[in-house]
Amino acid sequence: MKVTLTSVYSPYCFPTLLKSSSLSTLCRPFCSSALPSPPTCVKPQVPIFLRPPIYSNKLCDLNKWHDWAKGVAFSIGSTFVHSDNGPDSSILCRELKWLMEDAVEVPSLDDERVRMRIDIEELYCLWKQRVHERRPFQYVVGCEHWRDLVLSVQEGVLIPRPETELVVDFVSDVVSENEELKRGVWADLGTGSGALAISIGGVLGSGGGRVIATDLSPVAVAVAAYNVHRYCLQDKIELREGSWFEPLKDMEGKLAGLVSNPPYIPSKDISGLQAEVGRHEPRLALDGGIDGLHALLHLCDGAALLLKPGGFFAFETNGEQQCKALIDYMENNRRGSFCNLEIRADFARIQRFVIGFRQ
Amino acid sequence: MTVGVALNWCRGRGEEHGWKLEGDTESVRMAHKTLFRPTLILSLRLNNPPFSLSHNPFLHSQPPFPFLLNTHPISLPSTSTCTTTIHLWCSNYTTTTTTTTTTTTTTVEGSEKCYLDLTDEELMRQCEMDTFKTSGPGGQHRNKRESAVRLKHLPTGIISQASEDRSQHKNRASALNRLRSLIALKVRKTVDLDAYSPPRELLQILPPKSSIRGSDCGPQIGPNNQKFASGMQALLDLIFAVEGSVSEAAKYLGLSTGALSRLILSDDSLRKEVNDLRASKGMKPLK
Ligand SMILES: C[S@@+](CC[C@H](N)C(=O)[O-])C[C@H]1O[C@@H](n2cnc3c(N)ncnc32)[C@H](O)[C@@H]1O
Repeated sequence: MKVTLTSVYSPYCFPTLLKSSSLSTLCRPFCSSALPSPPTCVKPQVPIFLRPPIYSNKLCDLNKWHDWAKGVAFSIGSTFVHSDNGPDSSILCRELKWLMEDAVEVPSLDDERVRMRIDIEELYCLWKQRVHERRPFQYVVGCEHWRDLVLSVQEGVLIPRPETELVVDFVSDVVSENEELKRGVWADLGTGSGALAISIGGVLGSGGGRVIATDLSPVAVAVAAYNVHRYCLQDKIELREGSWFEPLKDMEGKLAGLVSNPPYIPSKDISGLQAEVGRHEPRLALDGGIDGLHALLHLCDGAALLLKPGGFFAFETNGEQQCKALIDYMENNRRGSFCNLEIRADFARIQRFVIGFRQ
Repeated sequence: MTVGVALNWCRGRGEEHGWKLEGDTESVRMAHKTLFRPTLILSLRLNNPPFSLSHNPFLHSQPPFPFLLNTHPISLPSTSTCTTTIHLWCSNYTTTTTTTTTTTTTTVEGSEKCYLDLTDEELMRQCEMDTFKTSGPGGQHRNKRESAVRLKHLPTGIISQASEDRSQHKNRASALNRLRSLIALKVRKTVDLDAYSPPRELLQILPPKSSIRGSDCGPQIGPNNQKFASGMQALLDLIFAVEGSVSEAAKYLGLSTGALSRLILSDDSLRKEVNDLRASKGMKPLK
């Protein structure tokens, strides 16, 4: 029997997927030095799972809270699903399990008492916020698990989405074949929690490569700084506050790579968003103007200016329509600036990303 | 899609599209013998492809095979004949194709075994990955932590999934590990008993007291080691070849029947696979 392995069908490219990551060293919890004071005076919150387990509670009280919380989750049924495609009881119960994981220290003190990172009274409060106010679970616990990172998040900072994880694979793929790009300077514009910048910092490894991450939101810059520090990448990742390319004036024609997941939701769609998103996440991170393309088109112009020849870019978009509009814009309005333009789908098969190179 | 449906499709609609079954049904050879999902390879020959095969995921042209979701691009050497052989894998769960031009020589014999030799990336390329059903536009619109991952290994139709972790990335890694074990358990290779000599990966999982296990095999590899899957696969190949007889298999491995039984019982999924086989042959289960 003959089977050709080289040409087996693959729906997407998984270039460097699951490669045991050079980020493993990043999983060390904290650096020995103290946290830096962020560029602005915003004080980032410490996620529950990183707080010291200073509360001692009776196991039966914890169980009582848990039963109550479960009851609240079940009372929701699929109400939220019908109203705005929000979470149902089963998703809320899964989150409840994760909240317990973050809040309760294992092993327990003894058969009757547990040590916790947050007081039980506060747990009641948090769960009410989660269910009744639809506060996103990630803001409740103060973190999101994203790729192999656990990133701190809080109100004012977008919770990184699973879709965006793929951007790191694109970058990893490109730098594995190109030493020059690997040693170059990369930019993550609108970095939010710093998710992309931190992962890319890891992908670039110990060579000379580094990342500049920017955001207009002072809260985002502060939280990103906290996360960068937590993974001990402050030597590799520099944070700059300001609008898009404005803090990057010194980088014209010098960038090896540019990634961004800018706000891309059309303004008219914001009011219909799932409550967790629309009511709690920052509008600055979501609203992409009338057609959602406002930031993306600006990024195309800037990419032409800042990337060096052969430099790589990857942008996340709202879907097929925006991907096509971007390609169209680059091919017509920025003729001769870019090459090897491609649209890539996410895991739900929505055409999500536009990638390419500076000519 | 079942094999029968695929065959009929090739004979009917396929020909409309310029696809022809190569030779007669004889040429439809047994390729994979997955236990509960018989899989066949159909070799199709195509002169001057009537459409371009592309893996471009954003070209939504309807492929001529409804089950041909996507294929890799075939670059046909301009100087050689443009004959393309399509290997069509069919199983009850999935159908996929690989393509090779007649001038390509990078073929691998006995690929069933080779799946486990692939790197994570290579194995992943043979898979279709789905996050669990999402409705709506996704991305910035949503907050549902859909981190669960399902992998479908297209050549065999084996599906593995993972949802226990909070990050999609880690669930992907768990699903891939799980897939390796499932491949080891479910994909069988025929063994020539007359010329049998156990492969190295099998020797490595045997206890040191095996009389054919050289000292160069290193320490015994146990079920918790990632390399155990390849050894387990080879062991199952042998046990299937001797139709479930542990005493018979033990002879080929230089072990007592008791020692081989203990090895089989050391891993739950291995034990279950062997016992299922024995049950199908009317034998008593190992305990
Ligand atoms: C969709 S979020 C992406 C956050 C992060 N990169 C991620 O993928 O999770 C968009 C980010 O762009 C930032 N942003 C919005 N307008 C900006 C501007 N004019 N200049 C720089 N950043 C901006 C927002 O503050 C927000 O952090």
